[in-house]
Amino acid sequence: MGALLGRLGEAAASLLGVCTLVFLLIHLVPGDPVAAMLGEGARAVDQAELRAALGLDRPLWTQYLDYLGGLARLDLGVSLHSGRAVTALLAERAGPTLELAVAALALAVVVALPLGVLAALHQGGWIDRVAMGFSMLGAAIPNFWLGPLLILVCSLWLGWTPVSGRDGPLSLLLPALTLGTGLAAVLARMVRSSLLEVLGEDYVRTARAKGAGPARVLWRHALRNAWLPVLTLLGLQFGALLGGAVITETVFAWPGLGSLVVESIQARDYPLVQGAVLVIALAYLVVNTLTDLLYLALDPRIRSR
Amino acid sequence: MSGARPLALGAAAVLGGCAQGAREDAVIRFAVARPPRNLDPRLATDATSERVNRLLYRTLVRLDAAARPVPGLARWERLGATRYRFRLGEQGRLFSDGSRLTAHDVVATLESIRAPGSRSPHRAALAGIAALRACDDDTLELALHAPDAALPSRLVLAVLPAAAIARDHPFVTAPIGSGPLRLVERPDPDALLLERCADGQRIALVTVRDPSVRVMKLLRGEVDLLQGDLPPELVDHLARAPGIAVRAVPGANLSYLGFNLEDPRTGSLAVRRAIAQAIDRPLLIRTLLGGRARLAESILPPEHWAGRGDLAPWPHDPGRAQALLAGAGFGPGNPLHLTLKTSSDPFRLRLAGALQAQLAAAGIALAVQGHDWGTFFGDVKAGRFTLYALTWVGVRSPDIFRYALHSESLPPGGANRGRYRNASVDRLIVTAARAPSLAAARAPYAALQAIVHAELALVPLWYEDQVAAQRATIRGYRPAGDGNYDGLAQVVRVPVAAKEE
Repeated sequence: MGALLGRLGEAAASLLGVCTLVFLLIHLVPGDPVAAMLGEGARAVDQAELRAALGLDRPLWTQYLDYLGGLARLDLGVSLHSGRAVTALLAERAGPTLELAVAALALAVVVALPLGVLAALHQGGWIDRVAMGFSMLGAAIPNFWLGPLLILVCSLWLGWTPVSGRDGPLSLLLPALTLGTGLAAVLARMVRSSLLEVLGEDYVRTARAKGAGPARVLWRHALRNAWLPVLTLLGLQFGALLGGAVITETVFAWPGLGSLVVESIQARDYPLVQGAVLVIALAYLVVNTLTDLLYLALDPRIRSR
Repeated sequence: MSGARPLALGAAAVLGGCAQGAREDAVIRFAVARPPRNLDPRLATDATSERVNRLLYRTLVRLDAAARPVPGLARWERLGATRYRFRLGEQGRLFSDGSRLTAHDVVATLESIRAPGSRSPHRAALAGIAALRACDDDTLELALHAPDAALPSRLVLAVLPAAAIARDHPFVTAPIGSGPLRLVERPDPDALLLERCADGQRIALVTVRDPSVRVMKLLRGEVDLLQGDLPPELVDHLARAPGIAVRAVPGANLSYLGFNLEDPRTGSLAVRRAIAQAIDRPLLIRTLLGGRARLAESILPPEHWAGRGDLAPWPHDPGRAQALLAGAGFGPGNPLHLTLKTSSDPFRLRLAGALQAQLAAAGIALAVQGHDWGTFFGDVKAGRFTLYALTWVGVRSPDIFRYALHSESLPPGGANRGRYRNASVDRLIVTAARAPSLAAARAPYAALQAIVHAELALVPLWYEDQVAAQRATIRGYRPAGDGNYDGLAQVVRVPVAAKEE
């Protein structure tokens, strides 16, 4: 319980740090939101009036306190360009991003787990070489190339899937495959190396000596421990996916957070950048806190520390 | 399919409102590179929003092909040097919520833009208005602080319902206009489903950022139509594709090379002339743009009422460029080193590479810096550049000369990014602005363009064509020179059988 509370406290402190850092960074980078709204031809008097109306003429610390107050009310401000509430803009993108992240992660796990296990069990054999060859290829292919290639083959030539867009379950296949391939490759290598390490441990030899069959050794003794580093990687990758996969979203016209973040940065839409960074940081923190909690559940040694 | 149907639809769109029911026609899908961010025409600043808003709302005044103001919702008369009267016609008087558009709506719209603390980028354009009032439902009068013959062209502003403005209606996402199209829904954050009021034809605006994917969607039939933002090689590919028609019209967006005139190197006229003469623009147009552009000599295109078509181009002459550089103290022993800033857009980088090679042939060592758009544009506005490459998009008003060239328009108070200062040009800008009529403003505008051209405050490169590509079943869409989507008010899908006839 103490470990749990400690972890949650760390997460809250990290979040406050991120909020402060993002606020300061946004206000330190060059660029004037008022000029962005009114355009280059605006009169100085109009700029001053709008600056006052938005409260941007007040001291930074007052603005910071307002910002924290807004956060407490889940009010992240208003986008400079669309004029819409940042929370609404982020909320409508969160669903597609979560959908894509879960699909890519599921696809990666489904492919990587058997591949890594098979490779480890047949270390040095042809299965291992094929699996690791696939893994190397998957990690090496960039998404900006794989995405259009998949579209060309699956959509244009074979006509199996839509080219792009978010229109039904079939439209999720190619972006998930694009995003999941690289992840599966890294995961497969991690599963293999982690499993190989565990399979050489004394307790595995002991289990075998006690007469446990290969399947029982693998599932009961080896995989459970091999999972721990894999879990860490999964947590980090899932956090990254929740931040939005910019290239994949762009290629597949997927209306997720990634493209919104890039556009808001390009347009210097500060409240939107601020809100998006906060949400991405929050996603990382939540996923990694959950990963740590899973660690606690899976590994009794950590609980007893 | 005859051409009569688009014409009939156009007429119906002009006369009608959005009260008619939807038909069962299949949706026409139109792909764009960027989503419309803001459907409140008072606040929108991005090109896609402005183009969509032209379809959702009607404006008090419109601009014709030569950018002269012509009646939109209203005709006008000048009652005196500083007084105008606008009388609303019968066309386009029905808002999509069923209410009737009146002069009170016009006043409420203009007042909301003029209000202190307004976020509207149009506020400065209305700064000359001293007072306005609705005389009755069909008439309004405006009083100005000073005579302004160009006032009507500043009123190309969409009209919103006063009642909705008063209750702070979220036009950003729920537009209420009297334009030829209305918003049905936003199926996802990057898409709009529109309905044409005249015949119920539904049109989906789909955002596909990647140009290759946009083309693949058109080839596969997932979209019917796309316009602009395509690299030339993809346009060529589409032009060869069966079942796809590509149409190009002369554009009005000026691509240019900007100088920092406060830099001692690019502040020298000899150096600027050397750069202008080192660039082979026809070759760039042929090779980089597939011939789909025309040479530019000024910010405004020749067909603009204030434009000039008689300015002689600076000829490509590397030998002359070297001689000019030698005269300015640069040569093999002391080569001229310059840096060109540009955005990280692939086409822009390709252009920068070509310019680098052409300038090298004249003995100029050009370094290229590509930045993300925000950083690049921020640097340009802050004067952190020697040379930059940009495009003026959607320029219709000769106010651009004050905005971009007057010595009092240095950023942040304007867009004189090159820090150009010329007292004669300043005087001519003021003279033109005070002219009693547009006709009288032509001479000073022509004179100032000649000076700017001779002094090379910037190097005009070209006006890029506007290109649209559509499937063979789509008819009636004509791209516009400024890239607007007005053709969607007429576009139709023809049945396959009709297409084969």
